[in-house]
Amino acid sequence: MASTVIQTHALTRSFGPRRGIVDVDLAVEPGQIFGFLGPNGAGKSTTIRILMGLYHASSGSARVLGLDPFADAVEVHRRTGYLPGELAVYPRLTGRQVLDRFASVRGLRGTRYRDQLVERFGAEVDRPTQTLSKGNKQKLGLVLAFMHRPELLVLDEPTSGLDPLLQLEFATLLQETTAAGRTVFLSSHDLDEVQRVVHRLAIIREGRIVVTDTVEGLRRHAPRTVELTFDHDVDASALDRVDAVQASAWTDPGHLRLTVAGPMAPVLRAIAPLDPVDLFARPADLDELFLGYYRSTDLQEA
Amino acid sequence: MHADIARIDLRLRRRSILWFAGGLAFYAFILVAMYPSVRSDSSLGDLTANNPTVGALLGVNGSLTSPTGWVNGNLYANFLPLMILLLTIGYGASCIAGQSEDGTLGLVAALPVSRRRLVLEKSAVLALIALPVAVVTMAFILLGRHYDLTLPTSAVVGTTVAVLVMGVDFGLVALIIGVLTGSRGMALGLASGLAAASYLVSSLAPVIGWARTVRPASLFYWAVGSDQLTAGPSSTAWAVLLISALVLNGLAVVLVQRLDIR
Ligand SMILES: Nc1ncnc2c1ncn2[C@@H]1O[C@H](COP(=O)(O)OP(=O)(O)O)[C@@H](O)[C@H]1O
Ligand SMILES: [Mg+2]
Repeated sequence: MASTVIQTHALTRSFGPRRGIVDVDLAVEPGQIFGFLGPNGAGKSTTIRILMGLYHASSGSARVLGLDPFADAVEVHRRTGYLPGELAVYPRLTGRQVLDRFASVRGLRGTRYRDQLVERFGAEVDRPTQTLSKGNKQKLGLVLAFMHRPELLVLDEPTSGLDPLLQLEFATLLQETTAAGRTVFLSSHDLDEVQRVVHRLAIIREGRIVVTDTVEGLRRHAPRTVELTFDHDVDASALDRVDAVQASAWTDPGHLRLTVAGPMAPVLRAIAPLDPVDLFARPADLDELFLGYYRSTDLQEA
Repeated sequence: MHADIARIDLRLRRRSILWFAGGLAFYAFILVAMYPSVRSDSSLGDLTANNPTVGALLGVNGSLTSPTGWVNGNLYANFLPLMILLLTIGYGASCIAGQSEDGTLGLVAALPVSRRRLVLEKSAVLALIALPVAVVTMAFILLGRHYDLTLPTSAVVGTTVAVLVMGVDFGLVALIIGVLTGSRGMALGLASGLAAASYLVSSLAPVIGWARTVRPASLFYWAVGSDQLTAGPSSTAWAVLLISALVLNGLAVVLVQRLDIR
């Protein structure tokens, strides 16, 4: 698609012998909130820095807003708002001084939207930034990223350090941003913090993308838990032969827990002859699935 | 775009710029005010006039109590370059490597400013942070004519500018070492070492043969090492100092364009 906002092909970056990222493929469409998830050290910041033209890639390609992140860095930066992962602002300047300078670099004249953002997040802008807590610095970083209403926001762990109320405010801001047709690419190591806001997500682990899907799609593919209660001894081996059953385990005598991924009907047909007295099914536990992607060793594209 | 990145960096160093300028102005004033009482002190004058080694170490050619001897030996051949180098090497080491180490460079590098422009603004700051020190010092030395300390104005202005350009040169060296090593400490150390070597070569050249051979490689020699306060820096000196600045700046641009910035 020509208007794809972020597109990478086999993007790779190594640091000497050390793994950075390997063959990362991403496609972010306009108006999306795209979540980039993975544990610490997975390669999120490395990918983001390449997208922002801060790091060079070892191989592969990246286009941002249809432009080359390095060759066209000035244009990309003009149209993008960036929040670095480990945000550091000049410690001896106040937030306002930093905002004023950065606004001037960007040629912003009006301060209305910026002041609104400061107000919304309760950002402390009149003290030297070295006296600010992590959360307060993060608020300043968010204002710096959003203040010029960029077409694209690239936010590296934006919710870290924000209290729950501000996370909510941040989610609202994201909705407004994409409602106006703008695009957000954000990273996080915590699914919980972003699953309600992102439209689509990619999970990166040890430098490689392990799955790209919508939250809904992930949920659909996520295994469900089915718990069966019996008042008599049963031979459950028939259940293990059903394709969709990934695992079965007796939690107590008389209580069997199944992990099911796939269509439920064959499972139900296998269960019926066993004559359970009770059945309890839990919906997809996304966190479990997510942790599974973090942990498992042999992964396939979903 | 109004050189905002330069303005941020200048703002961060405002205080040290003012203190250096104030301190050196005071020192220069004392030096000038003392001159009438030392200029007829022949034992002080003979210290260098009869002993070229001591003269060389102080950067004085002839009598220490002549106007050029007094100002060279106490200020232009040593103290003024030292102060200017402290400012420029300090800034050169911190403006890329240091800011990268404390993480502030990433935010700036994501602004719509090209890396070439980023380096040019940093180079401009190198010159600007040392300018007040150089100007106030020069002003007090020129006031010396009211204290029997008369030096050719054009030579004083020329030498001051030459010292300033040498400061920018070494500041760029520190910047480049910082980009190559990613370490502010390394940049400070190596650039200071190079400046110290350059100083020694220039000041020992009159008395040590090998120093005289390598002297053309010393920026100190071109800025203050050959009695510039009498006739001003030669056109060769200007060429060396300015071409060094241009080449170093060009190298810095190329290296920063290739740099991975966190
Ligand atoms: N500048 C660098 N030099 C060397 N290794 C790096 C550099 N940047 C990142 N890495 C390595 O790349 C890997 C991915 O790091 P990063 O992208 O910061 O992960 P994340 O942001 O997902 O926590 C880590 O192993 C890290 O040590
Ligand atoms: Mg990170």
